[in-house]
Amino acid sequence: MSDQSGKHDELVHPAARPFLWLDAKWLKSSMLWILLVLALGFAAIDLFHHRHEYVHVAETPGFYALWGFGSFVLAVMVGWFVIRGFLGREEDYWDGEGDQ
Amino acid sequence: MIEALYDVSPAWPVIIAGLIAAAVPNHHVRKGLALIAPVLAGFLWFNVPSGVHTGGIIELGGFTLETFRYDGLSRIWGLIFIIAAFINALYGLHSRDRVGDASGLIYAGAGLGAVFAGDLLSLFFFWELTAISSVFLIWGSKTNEAYKAGLRYLAIHVLSGVMLLAGAVIHSADTGSWAFDESLSVNTLGGFLIFLAFGIKCAFPFLHNWLQDAYPKATVTGAVVLSAFTTKLAVYALARGYAGTDMLIWIGAVMTAFPVFFAVVENDLRKVLSYSLNNQLGFMVVGIGVGTELAINGAAAHAFVHIIYKALLFMSMGAVLYRVGTVKASELGGLFKTMPATAIFCIIGAASISAFPLFSGFVAKAMTLAAVAHEGHYIVWFILLFASAGVLEHSGIKIPYFAFFAHDKGHRVREAPVNMLMAMGIAALMCVYLGWPDMFGIPGGYRALYNLTPFPEVANEYPMWTFDHVVGQMQLLLAALFAFAFLVRMKWYPDEKRSINLDFDWVYRRALDGTARWGHAMFGRLWASIGNVLAAARTRIGGRLFQAFSPMGAISRDIPSGMLAIWTSALLAIVLIIAYIAP
Repeated sequence: MSDQSGKHDELVHPAARPFLWLDAKWLKSSMLWILLVLALGFAAIDLFHHRHEYVHVAETPGFYALWGFGSFVLAVMVGWFVIRGFLGREEDYWDGEGDQ
Repeated sequence: MIEALYDVSPAWPVIIAGLIAAAVPNHHVRKGLALIAPVLAGFLWFNVPSGVHTGGIIELGGFTLETFRYDGLSRIWGLIFIIAAFINALYGLHSRDRVGDASGLIYAGAGLGAVFAGDLLSLFFFWELTAISSVFLIWGSKTNEAYKAGLRYLAIHVLSGVMLLAGAVIHSADTGSWAFDESLSVNTLGGFLIFLAFGIKCAFPFLHNWLQDAYPKATVTGAVVLSAFTTKLAVYALARGYAGTDMLIWIGAVMTAFPVFFAVVENDLRKVLSYSLNNQLGFMVVGIGVGTELAINGAAAHAFVHIIYKALLFMSMGAVLYRVGTVKASELGGLFKTMPATAIFCIIGAASISAFPLFSGFVAKAMTLAAVAHEGHYIVWFILLFASAGVLEHSGIKIPYFAFFAHDKGHRVREAPVNMLMAMGIAALMCVYLGWPDMFGIPGGYRALYNLTPFPEVANEYPMWTFDHVVGQMQLLLAALFAFAFLVRMKWYPDEKRSINLDFDWVYRRALDGTARWGHAMFGRLWASIGNVLAAARTRIGGRLFQAFSPMGAISRDIPSGMLAIWTSALLAIVLIIAYIAP
């Protein structure tokens, strides 16, 4: 296996070296807070600016932020518990009789 | 402008180049053909005078075939098919595959031919040609799974063609016309059969699994080529024949939503892209169902940008497959360290499909959403909004994150070949250009896209770059990104693991296949049982006959002459009595 950080790995592409910080632990641990601040920041704009929408409920402050968060969580949970839970199979499932 | 070429469909140079490529063993000549043919097609496209043009008429067997109908709808689809054919040729330059080169060209040409077809018979010809030529892009992988998936793909698409022909014949008998236009209707048998034929190719719910089955098993280049033509041809066909058909709104809405759930837990990243493709088609189908000028513009613009960014994503995953040998999310991670350019191109594709402002998806999807809301389809609008967050999940985050970032799996491979990088670079530039706003009095790149739409005046009147629109979209995307980070931090995000998920294809690959096998086995047994019964009966009857007529049988036994005389007398008496009584 290669050097995980890539700093001393000669096989890392020269163009990628300036961006190895993207793999840094501090960035991974702080990404949650960075995104939270950005999401709240854009949601907060609605407090000072009234958006005009075709669908009136979308004019509720922070509507898109709430819908985006809820939709994402719903997609992941349904995918995880319903699709994988009920329909997930071993990788060699189709190697059986029906696929011959 | 060369007037003599006005009637030549851009499909022909591409198809002819494919036929020549099939016969040419020299790799460089084939690649030259693959690059030159789309350029020639592009020339023919530009050569046509603006407005509506009908040409390429062929009289055949009493039928009039119209091979080149150029109007607002076919114009935009034709151009993007030509661009896609060129980018695909560039991407596949490294591959030494004669069959792949030839089939890729014929397939692209057939797609163009179908787009420019003005009648149902021409459409049928090119429709079937797309199916037959494209299957070689799947078989080119030369694996058993690809071979079987290719057979299923071919069967389903030939069925689509047969339904199209049957519908066309019935439609023609009803109306006396073979025209491929808005006269089609789902309320007639012929029209409904054609609608179903289009629905199969468009991967409607329950008719969709050929897509997720076949595309991930195609060759590295094949998947890129396949992603561009088949399904978008079907979208075009729906826009041409069934714009404003209400049921398309709900069909499209379902198409946008259900693939999201499957993509979340899919491990094969090219299969994730196939589900994502299904989801994107849903937006276009909704737009066609709404059927207003703004909605049709939305569908057309979406198809245009989608072909580019979806090809870009398939190209990036193809490059990963080419270098690493797998696109299983569970086996990937950290590839940005060795494939940085591919990673950047993939991120641009991901940003475009997620509809981030300044990228092409943003300016296309917005028109469809606005048209849906404007026509009062609020539930569908909410579903599309959900699907927009879903797109971000599977294509915006999952594809680049698990391939290029996440946990470094230690793959130290080389960057993608130069030709692949060039193809991805062109696609990435287009993703940015087509999403670029008006700035400092200079028209943005999105204007070029809007001017290509079937109703450019309507498109250009649409207030695309408003503060409200940008803020709303950024709220949606950033909150969804935060949701991802939150779920990962809480360990509530499912692990990528080596597994598959059953989909509707289980019905025909396992249930119907099992039923057919069971039926075959039962019929075999029944046939054997009938044989046994017949054999037993034959033995029994034969035995009886033998007992009666054989030399030792009952009939052959010696009968005493006295007894014979009595019987003869009795029979004579009976005959005399009958003769006496009879009148």
